[in-house]
Amino acid sequence: MQVLKRVRPIGPVLAAVVLAFGLLVAPAGAQEGLSGSNPTAQAVNEQQLLEELNRIQGRVSIPDAKAATLEQPRGRDFRSFHEGALPWIGGIAIIGILLLLGLFYFVRGRIRMRSPESGVKVVRFNTIERLTHWVTATAFIVLAITGLNFVFGKRLLMPLIGPDAFSAWSQWAKYTHDFFSWAFMLGILVMLVLWVWDNLPDRYDGQWLRVGGGFFDKSNRTHPPAARFNAGQKLIFWSVIIGGIALTVSGLFMLFPFAYADVNGMQLAQTIHAIVGVLMVAVIIAHIYIGTLGMEGAYEAMGSGTVDLNWAKEHHSVWVEKQGAKTEPSQPAPTPAE
Amino acid sequence: MLTKRKSGQAGRTRLQTLMGTVASAPIDRRTFLRRSGLAVGGMAAIGSFQLGTVQKAAAISPPQPGEPIELKKSICTHCAVGCTVTAEVQNGVWTGQEPSWDSPINRGSHCAKGASVRELVHSDRRLKYPMKLVGGRWERTSWDDAINEIGDKMMEIREASGPDSVYWMGSAKFSNEGTYLFRKLAAFWGTNNQDHQARICHSTTVSGVANTWGYGAMTNSFNDIRNSKTMIIMGGNPAEAHPISLQHLLEGKELNHANFVVIDPRFTRTAAHATEYVRLRSGTDIAVLWGMLWHIFQNGWEDKEFIAQRVYGMDEIRKEVEKYPPDEVERISGVPGEQLKRVAELFATQKPATLIWCMGQTQHTVGTANVRASCILCLATGNVGKPGTGANIFRGHDNVQGATDIGLDVVTLPFYYGLTEGAWNHWARVWEVSYEDLLARFDSKEIMETPGIPLTRWFDATSLPKDEVEQRDTVRAMFVQGHASNSITRIPESMKGLSKLDLLVVADPHPTTWASLAVQAGRTDNMYLLPVCTQFETSGSRVASNRSIQWGEQIVAPSFEQKDDYQVIYRLAQKLGVAEQMFKNIAVEDDRPVPEDVLREMNRGGWSTGYCGQSPERLKAHMKNQHKFDLVTLRAPKDDPEVGGDYYGLPWPCWGKPELRHPGTPNLYNPDLHVMDGGSPFRARFGVERNGETLLAEGSYTKGSELTDGYPEFTMAVLKKLGWDADLTAEERGVIEKIGSDIDKVSWSTDLSGGIQRVVLSHGCHPYGNGKARAVAWNLPDPIPTHREPIYTPRVDLVEKYPTLPDAMQFRVPNMGFTVQQAAIEKGIAKDFPLILTSGRLVEYEGGGEETRSNRWLAELQQEMFLEINPADANERGISDGGWVWVTGAENNSRARVKALVTERVGRGVTFMPFHFGGWFQGEDLRANYPEGTDPYVLGESANSITTYGYDPVTNMQEPKVTLCQVQAA
Amino acid sequence: MARMKFLCDADRCIECNACVTACKNEHDVPWGINRRRVVTINDGKPGERSVSMACMHCTDAPCAAVCPVDCFYTTADAVVLHSKDLCIGCGYCFYACPFGAPQYPRVSNFGSRGKMDKCTFCAAGPEADSTEIEYAKYGANRLAEGKLPLCAEMCSTKSLLAGDGEIIAAIYKERVTQRGYGSGAWGWQTAYRETITV
Repeated sequence: MQVLKRVRPIGPVLAAVVLAFGLLVAPAGAQEGLSGSNPTAQAVNEQQLLEELNRIQGRVSIPDAKAATLEQPRGRDFRSFHEGALPWIGGIAIIGILLLLGLFYFVRGRIRMRSPESGVKVVRFNTIERLTHWVTATAFIVLAITGLNFVFGKRLLMPLIGPDAFSAWSQWAKYTHDFFSWAFMLGILVMLVLWVWDNLPDRYDGQWLRVGGGFFDKSNRTHPPAARFNAGQKLIFWSVIIGGIALTVSGLFMLFPFAYADVNGMQLAQTIHAIVGVLMVAVIIAHIYIGTLGMEGAYEAMGSGTVDLNWAKEHHSVWVEKQGAKTEPSQPAPTPAE
Repeated sequence: MLTKRKSGQAGRTRLQTLMGTVASAPIDRRTFLRRSGLAVGGMAAIGSFQLGTVQKAAAISPPQPGEPIELKKSICTHCAVGCTVTAEVQNGVWTGQEPSWDSPINRGSHCAKGASVRELVHSDRRLKYPMKLVGGRWERTSWDDAINEIGDKMMEIREASGPDSVYWMGSAKFSNEGTYLFRKLAAFWGTNNQDHQARICHSTTVSGVANTWGYGAMTNSFNDIRNSKTMIIMGGNPAEAHPISLQHLLEGKELNHANFVVIDPRFTRTAAHATEYVRLRSGTDIAVLWGMLWHIFQNGWEDKEFIAQRVYGMDEIRKEVEKYPPDEVERISGVPGEQLKRVAELFATQKPATLIWCMGQTQHTVGTANVRASCILCLATGNVGKPGTGANIFRGHDNVQGATDIGLDVVTLPFYYGLTEGAWNHWARVWEVSYEDLLARFDSKEIMETPGIPLTRWFDATSLPKDEVEQRDTVRAMFVQGHASNSITRIPESMKGLSKLDLLVVADPHPTTWASLAVQAGRTDNMYLLPVCTQFETSGSRVASNRSIQWGEQIVAPSFEQKDDYQVIYRLAQKLGVAEQMFKNIAVEDDRPVPEDVLREMNRGGWSTGYCGQSPERLKAHMKNQHKFDLVTLRAPKDDPEVGGDYYGLPWPCWGKPELRHPGTPNLYNPDLHVMDGGSPFRARFGVERNGETLLAEGSYTKGSELTDGYPEFTMAVLKKLGWDADLTAEERGVIEKIGSDIDKVSWSTDLSGGIQRVVLSHGCHPYGNGKARAVAWNLPDPIPTHREPIYTPRVDLVEKYPTLPDAMQFRVPNMGFTVQQAAIEKGIAKDFPLILTSGRLVEYEGGGEETRSNRWLAELQQEMFLEINPADANERGISDGGWVWVTGAENNSRARVKALVTERVGRGVTFMPFHFGGWFQGEDLRANYPEGTDPYVLGESANSITTYGYDPVTNMQEPKVTLCQVQAA
Repeated sequence: MARMKFLCDADRCIECNACVTACKNEHDVPWGINRRRVVTINDGKPGERSVSMACMHCTDAPCAAVCPVDCFYTTADAVVLHSKDLCIGCGYCFYACPFGAPQYPRVSNFGSRGKMDKCTFCAAGPEADSTEIEYAKYGANRLAEGKLPLCAEMCSTKSLLAGDGEIIAAIYKERVTQRGYGSGAWGWQTAYRETITV
């Protein structure tokens, strides 16, 4: 019965589809036209039905509503995307970002602090924030690896370890993906609540973007002012939130197959999930780069939760001022350096 | 051609190699039994049998690789097409089904039911042990105790109320031999209160058709329809009820570019394949048929030569038909004259044409008249008695034709001999018992010769006051072997009967709705359930709709304490003290009467219907040589040593003794063949003359006949007159002389030597004479069919002109149809219940459906009882497709809760319900009323809880095809 | 080499569901799994046609293409089969399949929807032919015994044809020529990228 309940929501949708479909193909005045007709001559025609709707829908007596779809040649499109475009999109996005980052690193090198460490630490992320970040991050990495396995596993890994081991790994990867998804979804929600105010656009974003955050100034002199988050970080935040929500919604469709969508809806969900997924992976790779190798002092912010005052002044001058204003007249950072 | 499929390889697995080495013992019967016991899932399993949530139950009987396979053949038990079932048996377990390519009837094919019959035998929902209702609870009992208690109770009732107070309800699911024994047991018990499903399916066909031209059966065969140029299916949905017949119909349609006309209130799955669909109002068949004849006579399309030679009384029909001009027909039936003219022209001019019908015509208060009108249409157009023509009446159960022929019926002894003293004498001679002994078993000679109570009326005969039932007492005990209760109309009324009975015994593979409804009716004791084998667990012969008789082997032995019909009847006969006489000439091995012997006894008495030539040996030879029979003619090559020249299944009539090797009759009444090739004239059954007009054929006779005109049926007197009596052997003459005091009166049907038949055939003549078919059947209430409105009609305006027949006592009980019809009009029933309700079949289920709903393969395909309703009617009532609705009926405040199926399949103002569901009553689920573990997977409301009063005057056929109802969203 | 195909002559199909129960009976397919089904289009209206549908064993099968673990393989008879040992129950094949053929034992996706099950053209799976283990996982292997799929063999009206594509196309063509009209070789264009022209 449980199952039935879950399935019920599609009923009306399908019924509507069937009805709409029926209206389209039934000759006008079918009611009156029934008697005296030649049913053999009026037989429905596959080609015509496919041209009209690109899908052939009928009635079955079994309760499995999706069985009533006789043909959906759109499965072919799903396949061509999945096996054609998707690996390319994913490959280009991921390899592309890696190349860009490599190039950036080669040209710009690590972004170092201009002034020496002040020795004064400022709290940048509290425990809850860091916990949320790392839970989400861990989940994302697991999801990314297990997710990418669906696209690239059979192309890259299977030839190395053979079908049996690959299948066993993939089975576990799938379990893992399904269960870690909940941590990710929760993380995205909490992040949104925690950081949404600090990520609303402000007047510094324009300038920050104009100078590219100073990333491309090899002299390292450009440090546009920024509040708690600069425009670049805001971009990351919003890509994570929007991407995360897209992944969540499309993922939920897939966790409960056919509960809220028919086969074409499922295809759409899968397609969105895959595209957003690979793009997110690319974005997060960039995020990881900047947060670790790419910028001196950045990792600390999320690692220990504190940053050096001078680092904060360079990268988030407005935030530091605000923090300072809040805590005047004492030291901006309440935490004494050890 | 086929290549091994091994070249593409997916990855091998460790698990597989591991499991491959596990030694697997073959499944023997013991393991099988254990598994089939274990597979019982009970209610928990039901709960999980929903979409998707599946536990793979261990297959009860998977194939056993490497074990030898034994192939066994039997006949499908689900309709009368007669499909051969080929079973693979390993170690006594039925492990698979293979297509039966050799059968000329099904050529490997099956429908949903036939393709899953193996599961019927394995179903864990079957009755496994005898059960007894004690204080409202089901308890297991033993066969010995059950039979003793049942027998004692019956004798007690017999003492107090007479033998007629015990009702014997038999089954179309019996083999011929089972039917015969059951019929014989009723005779030895001393009652004519014995009946079976034919009452509610084709009793009106039998009476109507037999009263027209001699025998009440399908004239041609499914295979022969391949010859038709025009087929009209009127009141039938063979695509669902007889799916394999469609193989022949559709191939015929393709090969001949045949016209395929479906006339039905419902746009059925058969209609979807028609070349012309005609929608009529339910219950107006006569108006439509006369409407067609009106055009035929008007345009001179009738077959004048045929009528002159072979039909009596067509002029009177002509006069009646004049009363049905196109506008009147349209007023009654809703069918426009132009369309009917088109159809009439096809039927009359694009010949050969056949008229096919099922219960759409028969299940009406005017059933007999409907069927007669159909026959008359065939006669008027010369569409009978030739290949590709005929009244092709598709029968519903695997042996309903046989059970009808064998007289498991309130009006006759086996093979239509009737109930006259002469008939009883004939059977007393066959059984080698004295007539006086039989007479002594009955309450009186009068009641011995009076038809019994039809099964449609059993509960009236139980609950009516004693003085309204014309026998010593009311019916007090029901012995039901193989008949559903929910296929009988007026279920709310039957509840009264169920609680009032002093004894109720149900012998069946399943508890059936008798169990669930009886408990619901408040019954707590004196009810027994006896587990019976399916036909796959026993052997015997069964008759397909085309009159072919096929022998089924026992495929497997029953798994638990089930006994076959023969054993049940034998035990009961023993208990009732009649076994010795009953089985005088029938061998009994291990308490099981040998069916071959039973058939031989039938052969010795079945002269009237040509059941005399089909010995068990011949039938078995046919099953063995199935592949030799032609697809269209059904005939084997003449030079074949075993079945040479025979028609498949020796379709009756198959005259003379088996040694005569009559080939059977593939198409009835075909004079273009020699009698020894299956030719025959119309039966001279109704005398030789009426009102100065001859009733014998004029100028029409079978090929090679020595008599070249009509002739009466053959008696010794006729034989002597022709001088042919000299051809009789001394032995034959000896037998004939012993038969009666007046040797001249001994006839082709009472001569136990078969001599008369043999001699007559040798002269190219036909034993039953060469008569005319009757367009006017002067012995029926409506000698000429006329339209009569259903009891509950939405067209009250037509009742005055076309009322139903007056009330009368029929079959020992009153038929109050006229009173009920008038009362319905006075009460304005048609306003409160504006929708027509009609009922019919689904392909997945059969009959009352308990058996098929216990088959998981079938049950999965139809999980819910439903009502079809037109979108316009649904919209008015706010009913959505798939939503629950309450259906309320015109009598007894009846109501049923079902799912709505909104579809244009039914016209506006019409609703349809399938009649296979049961186990719910007025919205209540009765699952708890079944003995544990025997409840079918799928339960639902019975259509017949809404159906109403209405009985055909000739047979007391019920009226489940037209009543009124109202529907509202639940 | 034979190229196995299914062909449903919709002009003959009467939705009797024999193909469905024959399949269930032959392979002991559990409740809720429908390797074959009959879909009725325009139900109850003129033009109503039923089509029996199962895996069509496509040329260049989409299911095989999208399978993330490559558990599908095509036999020498062009039958598309899969290994239940490799299948991880992800459901992609159902999204890709134009005919709704893949079936899963569970609805929810937690962990897995169970091993996918589908029509095998009565050719079972990668295990050794006609063994108990093969039967338990995939059902009977009729092809190995020289028999064709039971659904088609038992079809009530010989509507469903199974076998070498050229042979069944010839049977269908003959029928169409005889009766004067076709019924469309449903699914052929999608599955085999060809249709039968008469």
